[in-house]
Amino acid sequence: MTDIAVEIDSLWKKFRRGERQDSLRDLIPAAVRRTLRGPRPSEELREDDFWALRDVSFAVERGTALGIIGHNGAGKSTLLKILTRLLQPTSGSYVTRGRIGALIEVTAGFHQDLTGRENVFLNGAILGMRKADIAKRFDAIVEFSGIGEFIDTPVKRYSSGMNARLGFSIAAHLEPEILIVDEVLSVGDYTFQGKCIRWMQNVLKNGTTVIFVSHNMDAVLALCNSAILLNHGRVAAQGELATVVSEYYKTGGHWAPKVMDNPTVTTISFSSNLGRDIVVPPGEQLTFAHTFTAAETIDLTPGFFIRRGDRMVTDTSYARMLGHPLRLRAGETTTLRWSLSMNLPAGIYEVGCHIEDLKGGYHDYSNRACVVTVGDDPRVKGDSYVGLKLEEGCID
Amino acid sequence: MFAAIKESSIEVWDHRDLLEQLTLRDIKLRYKQAAMGFMWAVFMPCLIVLSGLIIRYAMARLSGTTLVRADIANIAVKGVGWAFFVGALGFATASLVGNSNLVTKIYFPREVLPLSSVAAQSFDTAIGLVTLVVILPFLGVVGHVSMLWVPLLLVLLVLFTTAASLFLSCANLFFRDVKYIVQIVLMFGIFFTPIFFEPSMLGTRGAHLAMLNPLTGILEGMRLSIVNGHNLMYPLTTLVHGVETPVWEPWELVYSAVCAVGGMIGATAMFRKLQPLFAEFI
Repeated sequence: MTDIAVEIDSLWKKFRRGERQDSLRDLIPAAVRRTLRGPRPSEELREDDFWALRDVSFAVERGTALGIIGHNGAGKSTLLKILTRLLQPTSGSYVTRGRIGALIEVTAGFHQDLTGRENVFLNGAILGMRKADIAKRFDAIVEFSGIGEFIDTPVKRYSSGMNARLGFSIAAHLEPEILIVDEVLSVGDYTFQGKCIRWMQNVLKNGTTVIFVSHNMDAVLALCNSAILLNHGRVAAQGELATVVSEYYKTGGHWAPKVMDNPTVTTISFSSNLGRDIVVPPGEQLTFAHTFTAAETIDLTPGFFIRRGDRMVTDTSYARMLGHPLRLRAGETTTLRWSLSMNLPAGIYEVGCHIEDLKGGYHDYSNRACVVTVGDDPRVKGDSYVGLKLEEGCID
Repeated sequence: MFAAIKESSIEVWDHRDLLEQLTLRDIKLRYKQAAMGFMWAVFMPCLIVLSGLIIRYAMARLSGTTLVRADIANIAVKGVGWAFFVGALGFATASLVGNSNLVTKIYFPREVLPLSSVAAQSFDTAIGLVTLVVILPFLGVVGHVSMLWVPLLLVLLVLFTTAASLFLSCANLFFRDVKYIVQIVLMFGIFFTPIFFEPSMLGTRGAHLAMLNPLTGILEGMRLSIVNGHNLMYPLTTLVHGVETPVWEPWELVYSAVCAVGGMIGATAMFRKLQPLFAEFI
């Protein structure tokens, strides 16, 4: 039998849009109205209610990491708030087996007038640590945060990065059995983020169960074993990491230019030499062919871009590359060939194109004309894949 | 209901370090960047005593008597108690809403927020009490066996204040008007609670009405046991214009105790029941 740490069974959560009665003056007329009309069935949706979660079920095995992804307003935070006992579900049930620690808004307990040291003890206690435990881990917390000698300075004099680092460091020393993380790995500078990721990997190695909410697909892919995609409160996809992440991109609301009412240029095809949905090793040489036709003579500057999640990897256009626009005569069809090396780290990349004329009108565009999944080269780590080689026999 | 109280007690006990930290925070914040520092702790009771003296002076002049040292002692004892009640409720009422960033983001038993307000106020009042102990001998107060009642009365005062704090902090979370109502009630409450006067000054019927205020039994009990050396087991009367008027009746103490303990049970059960809704409604 598998060991389930977190189990959620058909969770529903209803919220009310708009204002609730917040003063007695509003409550009394509302109460009178309710009595006159009689009670409503509570499960029925009123017009100003909406479901933040609809029939969400999943289970997380002990020692594994589940990523919860989805666009803004998909219900991720509501789900976490239910798991951390801040909200009650409207219906459904959940079981958590083990001590829960949450890395959500890690600086919420800080008081600006208190010193870093005082805040470590205060925030630690708020997060559920015993005083003796905090005292024991105090040096490690300060060390991890990199606050150093500023620990006895009031927190209001800290930079926002220092604030977040200290908050994260306190929470990082909770040592829970189930760790719930909500978008906090993006605090601090590059070095600190790296530290956070390494810390998370360490936590996982020690057998902690992790539920990880993030918009950062790189982090989700790097840390999680499986994922859930929420869309408008429903589970849109569930299971294998890469599938769920690619589903996330498909439902994504990316940048979309307004296409003109009567475009005169249309794309016929866009594909790489290997296909439209491909898996390649890093450094692979690819050529993307973009074929389009014009109904009338026009000056164009077709664009080409590669995107990873919300990040633009490369973005250019014909005129920017060559310094002059492309003239297409009426009825003419042409093919542009963009070639490149996928010198990129492992991940899922979307290749898109658009056709813009010189007046700034968009005739056609596609965000996901092709999807390229770049595989991992276990020999090197880092942000870019530069095709590094080590020549043998070069040691002087 | 008792299951709720048990659960509440266990959770608060498990989070006693948090209670301690929040209390420390409240105390530190009161004195950080405050020029008067700990003087603040005695400032409020002093002001209450001073206002009481002005009123008592006017009353004494009208009736052709003079103010005696025992009058000052009476007002000082009750003034410190009242300052505790007002101070604690003032902070506790706003404690949940004022910490909404915590209430909406991190789970812990929310009782610790109003409780820490009461605890922080207790610290202030402790300073006031120490000051009182130093001053009272100069006001002619000598030690009595009846002073053994004081610890019980203090416990009742803290219990009653805590019950009111739990109830009001929770009510204020759902209805923001509560804060204003509390402000007004605390402002005028000093006239409905016998601080500047004694219930017997209101005549027999008036005295009985004043005794319906649960604080009357506690504060009058403190005054009588400390200043008058009266054993609270026995009733006490005085002659007002030739009429025998009650000063103390033992049932006052029982009544105050019932209000304090009953209030504590009711407020804890209510707080527990509503606590899961806090994050959503705040």
